[in-house]
Amino acid sequence: MGWKSISWGDVKEGDELPIQRREITRTTVIATAIATRDFTPVHHDHEAAQKAGARDIFLNILTTGGLIGKYLTDWSGPEGQLKKLTIRLGATCYPGDTLISTGKVVRKYTQGNEHLVDVEYSLSVATGPHAWGGATLALPAREHGEA
Amino acid sequence: MDQKFYEELQALVGEEAGPFSANDEVNKAMVRHWCEAMEDSNPLYTDEGYAKKSKYGGIMAPPQMVQAFCLPPLWPKGETPPDPLAKAVRKLDEVGYAGVVATTTSQEYFRPMRLGDRIYYRVKLASVSPEKTTRLGKGYFLTSEYIYTNQKGEAVCTQSFTVLKYVPATEQRKEA
Repeated sequence: MGWKSISWGDVKEGDELPIQRREITRTTVIATAIATRDFTPVHHDHEAAQKAGARDIFLNILTTGGLIGKYLTDWSGPEGQLKKLTIRLGATCYPGDTLISTGKVVRKYTQGNEHLVDVEYSLSVATGPHAWGGATLALPAREHGEA
Repeated sequence: MDQKFYEELQALVGEEAGPFSANDEVNKAMVRHWCEAMEDSNPLYTDEGYAKKSKYGGIMAPPQMVQAFCLPPLWPKGETPPDPLAKAVRKLDEVGYAGVVATTTSQEYFRPMRLGDRIYYRVKLASVSPEKTTRLGKGYFLTSEYIYTNQKGEAVCTQSFTVLKYVPATEQRKEA
């Protein structure tokens, strides 16, 4: 398969990342909890979640991080390298929610020999942002190209 | 909670533990399982042919996966000596702050995790907030800092991680 990566030269501050949607099911919550090795009961046990004050089991933070990483490198392509990621958690993400990912390039700069962009992103559910924050990616410097 | 309790929590601030070793080396099966759950098709993580030709020379794990390698096993229990965050969490559990939720995390990545790498981490409790009232209930914000290295002692990632330990609102209603 030919994998394309975005190059630093083609990115402008203010560029928006394509929106992505993911339906979150009970299976998603449990499969991701286990794939991230987080066995905290609130992520697979309905009663434990309710005891903790939640209405249902909910997505764990490692999964939120995994989904953000996927969102960012789906945009950049595999040559985009995640350097920094900050995640603030807001609304809980429950089964039945649709997670909508949006993002925007807010800064483009070089540091040493690295060509960097800062992206602000948000993953929202119907009740508001589930997670938001910033990420820094290093992008390939060439003007136009394909991996 | 009273001042004395808060001081006991504060006494744990600055305490460091580790290095602890991840249970498994960075391996293809865990990485593929992660990608399957996330629906992440990045070929650096699962496509050997692509990864070999890339600047990394082989498959790497998604950088955010670092913490997953280091979470304690479901069984056997108690093999890892309790770290300062675990101590603070237990202390709060004992007095009814049973709820726990992650609120903020920040990671910086320094080198890729390649197949066969063994991740080690050290953890320090960096701060404990005074008691706050939140929409989940009253509780304390605990921030810990992690340093992850590989088997060569090279820095892989640093992370700051904040959780809220709270009295679940349902319990508070019961008390009222």
